[in-house]
Amino acid sequence: MASVQLKNVVKKYPNGFVAVKDFNLEIEDKEFIIFVGPSGCGKSTTLRMVAGLEDISTGELFIDGKKMNDVEPKDRDIAMVFQNYALYPHMTVYDNMAFGLKLRKVPKDEIDKKVHEAARILDLEHLLDRKPKALSGGQRQRVAMGRAIVRRPKVFLMDEPLSNLDAKLRAQMRVEIAKLHKSLETTIIYVTHDQTEAMTLGTRIVVLKDGIIQQVDTPENLYDTPCNKFVAGFIGSPQMNMIDAECTEEGGQVKLSFAGNTITLNEKKAAALKDKGYIGKTVTLGIRPEDLHDEEDYLANHSKSLITAEIRVYEMLGAETLLYFDIADASWTARVNPKTKARTGDTVRFALDENKIHIFDKETEITITN
Amino acid sequence: MISNQVLQSTIDSIKGIARLDIAIADIDGKVLATTFVEDRDLSGMVVSFAESQADSQAAGGFQFFKIFDEHQLEFVLIAHGDTDDVYMVGKLAVLQVQTLLVAYREKFDKDNFVKNLLLDNLLLVDIYNRAKKLHIEVGVRRVVFLVESDETIDVQAQDALKEFFSSESNDFVTAVDEKNIIVVKELQPEDGYEEVQKIAASMLDMLSSEVMLSTRVAYGTIVNEIKEVSRSYKEAKMALEVGKIFFVDRKIVAYNALGIGRLIYQLPIPLCKMFIKEIFVDVSPDDFDEETLETISKFFENNLNVSETSRQLFIHRNTLVYRLDKLDRATGLDLRVFDDAITFQIALMVVKYMKYMEHLDF
Repeated sequence: MASVQLKNVVKKYPNGFVAVKDFNLEIEDKEFIIFVGPSGCGKSTTLRMVAGLEDISTGELFIDGKKMNDVEPKDRDIAMVFQNYALYPHMTVYDNMAFGLKLRKVPKDEIDKKVHEAARILDLEHLLDRKPKALSGGQRQRVAMGRAIVRRPKVFLMDEPLSNLDAKLRAQMRVEIAKLHKSLETTIIYVTHDQTEAMTLGTRIVVLKDGIIQQVDTPENLYDTPCNKFVAGFIGSPQMNMIDAECTEEGGQVKLSFAGNTITLNEKKAAALKDKGYIGKTVTLGIRPEDLHDEEDYLANHSKSLITAEIRVYEMLGAETLLYFDIADASWTARVNPKTKARTGDTVRFALDENKIHIFDKETEITITN
Repeated sequence: MISNQVLQSTIDSIKGIARLDIAIADIDGKVLATTFVEDRDLSGMVVSFAESQADSQAAGGFQFFKIFDEHQLEFVLIAHGDTDDVYMVGKLAVLQVQTLLVAYREKFDKDNFVKNLLLDNLLLVDIYNRAKKLHIEVGVRRVVFLVESDETIDVQAQDALKEFFSSESNDFVTAVDEKNIIVVKELQPEDGYEEVQKIAASMLDMLSSEVMLSTRVAYGTIVNEIKEVSRSYKEAKMALEVGKIFFVDRKIVAYNALGIGRLIYQLPIPLCKMFIKEIFVDVSPDDFDEETLETISKFFENNLNVSETSRQLFIHRNTLVYRLDKLDRATGLDLRVFDDAITFQIALMVVKYMKYMEHLDF
């Protein structure tokens, strides 16, 4: 079990391409931290630098306080689980899990002990004699994890380990991995581009874009108080609705106007816009789908934040209903009560929850107020 | 591996020297070569001797000797007579056949065959003859992967890779040198490049996770005939080299995805120099600062889209337009014009290629 520290880490390739820019992060012992971001954002490269599979161009990496930049990958006491978890097809589950230890010349009885221990944790004991082709996708992935667990490393590095699984299995394996983290009590760095995986698994999430850390925070904070437009759009599904709006002040009240709609901001948000000099400027307004309401009593109580739109698509999902509509050129989604009377083609009034409105600088995309 | 004809000529020669009748049978008792005619059926005696623990045995007026190939019982030698001299000649004959087995194994060894095949060291007729003798199918689809590491690929990594493919006896894993391993993989009829890419990714991930070794994998095109395997190997080799120049951040490089880089890689350096001189008349590409290079690279990445590029560079649209105008004034190439953008992109690639070749010369 170990803490991991990255100080001003940069990855620059010989052709000048900078994949990771000034990466600073402290990962605590036993923490489950997630690197999330779109493809090419540098998350896997960072993970590979921690593993030693990529050189660190500049900056320092510490594991348990010990500088690791020049330590060989195999001497860093870490284990990796990848997306392409190819098992040895001719070997049994037991042999697959033992193979890495055999290569490292670990004594037989120790291998046996470690394999059985890992199999118990992963609930694979009854499958140890089977060959990979006799296993389900989820079981195979558990074996791949078992190969890492038997090594009992200080740090687990997982690079999109669930990407090859179908949606149902992914959901199952998410639960398994969370359980695994609890039982192993070890530090896990997990890379994914799937924000659902990130939100459900991580104790903290690092959102990356173009090799730069955008925000490091808990899942709740990332969702409720994103630091910029990118994080706001990346975290959450369906993603946050956004539109450019003109910011004006009338009779002491700050208003945002967009596509024929005008809403009045609450005092806190109004003060933030005024203080930072945004009156008379264009800003970007953001509102999450669940913060749009179409219930009559809500509309009656929030008359200052009403918008009107024609429903393009009605999607009944059982516990909730998604309504898709356009506000000028922007496509918006509202997550409403399934009892809604709104249907495709209807013109519907929505009220924005004033306390949940996010406002971003149009140019820098940095959050003005959450 | 060794033919019956060779066995026959060997024991004929031994008889010519030692005047001793000898036969060689397989472990099922079937006589493969003999210098004498025997009315009795010796197969039962041969089989029971083969199953016994003894290395040699005298029975029924014959002496039986076991011939091993790599600790595996291959043949039984039968010497006619039960004297000490017969025993001695029999032993010498066993030694001779065993030596021949080693020589033939080496000669026809699959590994050697594949190495020679990849390096174009075989005549076309030999390829088919030897493949037939080694029971290698000639008309199946194959692809060649080349695995390279900056570190030494140690025995652990080689073993891991061999184990990874060992279930498929028709695949070959062989080391070229301490940093390169070749994998010749047989494919199923339905396998396409998507599957090949997956295999490459699996190899990469397996070596990273199992032996913590960072590697690059390149592969050639899929070939349908064994004689074309060397072409696939050469393509993989080229992909690896071209990848180092133009796709440094890629861990898997496919020959069929090299694009224009493949053409540029084959240009003679003097021609490249002439081209660059013509394009960048008064400026050198080395004069471009990091900011300009990043701007150009992002602009190309975003398909010459000014708005998206400025957004990704966190700069105002007008700043980007200013930078592009400045570049236009310096080079005479306006990157917003498709033809100029292509010329510029090719010129930059040629510069990269020239730098790489210069680096190799040192």
